[in-house]
Amino acid sequence: MKSSPGSGWLERRLQLTAIRRALLDREVPDRLTWWHTLGSATLTVFLVQVVTGVVLATFYAPAPDHAYESIRFLEREVTNGGLLRALHHWGSSAMVVLVLAHMVRVFAMGAYKYPREPNWLLGVGLFLIVLSFGFTGYLLPWDQRAYWATQVGTSIAGTAPLIGGVLTKLLRGGSELGAATLTRFYAFHVLWLPLSLGAIVLLHLAIVIRQGIAPRTQSLEAGAPTRTSDAAYPGYYDSAYAATKRSGVRFWPDIIGKDAIVSLGVVVGLLLMALTVGAPLEAPADPTDASYVPTPEWYFLPFFQLLTLFPGSMESTIAVGVPALLVVALLGLPFFDRGSTRSLRHRPVALTALVVLLGGSALLLGGALRGAQPRVAPETGRELSSMERAGRALFQRQCQSCHVVSGKGGDEGPKLTDIGLHHSSGWMHSFIEDPTRFHRDSKMAAFGPPVLSHQEIEEVARYLGTLQGPPGSHLEPAVADTFPEPAKNGEGGRDTDSTVKAQSNTKRN
Amino acid sequence: MALPSSGSDLPPALSVESVGRRRFLRWASGASAAISALLVGFPAVAAFLSPGFKRPAKRDWIKVADDVATLDVGTPVKVDFVEASRDAWVESRALRTVWLYTEDGEKFIAYSGTCTHLGCAFSYEKEKDRFVCPCHRGVYEVKTGAVLSGPPPRPLDTLAVKVENGEVHVMFETFRPGIDKKVVA
Repeated sequence: MKSSPGSGWLERRLQLTAIRRALLDREVPDRLTWWHTLGSATLTVFLVQVVTGVVLATFYAPAPDHAYESIRFLEREVTNGGLLRALHHWGSSAMVVLVLAHMVRVFAMGAYKYPREPNWLLGVGLFLIVLSFGFTGYLLPWDQRAYWATQVGTSIAGTAPLIGGVLTKLLRGGSELGAATLTRFYAFHVLWLPLSLGAIVLLHLAIVIRQGIAPRTQSLEAGAPTRTSDAAYPGYYDSAYAATKRSGVRFWPDIIGKDAIVSLGVVVGLLLMALTVGAPLEAPADPTDASYVPTPEWYFLPFFQLLTLFPGSMESTIAVGVPALLVVALLGLPFFDRGSTRSLRHRPVALTALVVLLGGSALLLGGALRGAQPRVAPETGRELSSMERAGRALFQRQCQSCHVVSGKGGDEGPKLTDIGLHHSSGWMHSFIEDPTRFHRDSKMAAFGPPVLSHQEIEEVARYLGTLQGPPGSHLEPAVADTFPEPAKNGEGGRDTDSTVKAQSNTKRN
Repeated sequence: MALPSSGSDLPPALSVESVGRRRFLRWASGASAAISALLVGFPAVAAFLSPGFKRPAKRDWIKVADDVATLDVGTPVKVDFVEASRDAWVESRALRTVWLYTEDGEKFIAYSGTCTHLGCAFSYEKEKDRFVCPCHRGVYEVKTGAVLSGPPPRPLDTLAVKVENGEVHVMFETFRPGIDKKVVA
């Protein structure tokens, strides 16, 4: 690892040893905590987001006609496509969690105080950018929740006094949510925001290197002037900080080692969530489906819940006032709080504020989650799996012009409101693929490939299996699957008696 | 500012224990960083490269005639059909043409409906029993698809064809026009 100065081809030209000394061998305060690894863990997740995001963008079409289909293509046809999307999905939550935890750490250790006010301000900017990433990224899959959550989100901006109308149109790229909104959000999500975040992160890190890592609180408290604005404070700080670095702890490998271990843990955690839970994809966005109840991403839920607690007349005040107040408070914090005490234990006001803010958000989040309606399909009265939801969407596009389900649809073909009582999903798959197998005279077109893929037929069949009468009817299935008619030349087309009372291929309920 | 108190005379960072600890941390950071990069990098690179290794989708047989009995014997029959195809996530439909020819009502030849010269649609001249392309007067023999006159560089493109339960199915493909070899486009 060690190269003596002056040796090596690159060394002679670039004097890398000097850079290495300044960056890696620099001395840092001793006894830094594991809490000090949160910033680097955030940086790691950001890198994960960049890598997975680049792949997602490679397969994504930012247009309402194709956005949803391209995501489905990614999930089904691209090697690891679903895994990468799930990683990106969980990575976005991890970013918010880690940035918040990092901010709480800095707040609790009073590390925003002299001389680190500039980096606190940059950090607040980074936090807002991370939230903007979440908001813009949420729309991109163009599924139901993407569409409706953004509809609500952009409408909230519209309640702002004076600039509300302009703001909403600015966010949507027009007065309606649509194609212009999607390209706008896409450009923000993959160009504007990553560039700004990258630039500010570099600055943020450069300042950490320039100023050094904030030490444990006690090292900056003994004998300190009571105010950081005191003329004697900078002198006190310099000598107190220098003292923390005398034990010879180096950035490399003492600090980086811890950072790398925590980051690995975070990456493994993300991977586990991606593999076990995955990322949701609902039915394609349907602007006519007014029955859809939108939910924003969980980290916006406390704010949404807060809005429900106030009468409508106050909505615009709360919707604009609360976030604005929070941002102003965060930005003003290092200038407002000039006490030199850094331990949270000895800062009762700060402690109370932190507890109230975190506790209040947790209560609101809890309330929002408890009050959330399980999303059920109105025609079945039950929650559908992602596969069944996909089938439902396909059904509405391909089948509903001829078939009625709970009162909606065309009357060319039989009603399917309770088809799940009479046929197994396996039978329906086979039937949809080629109806003439079962009824030579069937007027229904064959939907086998290339019209629908087997995967798509299976989705429709699974959805049809959930149709067991109107919600709450609790009818017992009596599955009666017929065998395909023998392929005879000549007369055929009568209903065979080869009916089986199938053992009701039970589907998960 | 007092030095941090420690049991030994050496600063803690230089003790034997701390050298071992540093060796471990060096190793641990390298290993953690490498594993993290692999865990995310490998699926990402694999996804990015995967289109290079995908086999082209298998073409399906397309039914072009319901009943062989309705097809003329000894005279080519033009069949137009709509082929649904998928271009990644974009579904598209294209109108395709094949010419079916049979001499016995059992064995069929299927010609792609485009001229091998520059891809125009050719037609059948009943009086002279031959295919003629209107664009540059390419003329083909009906029985074999061989070029009788004109600029076409190769005979008409034949397609795989099968008869099943009285239905005629073809495996439709498009070939590059203008060259003397039959190469899938």
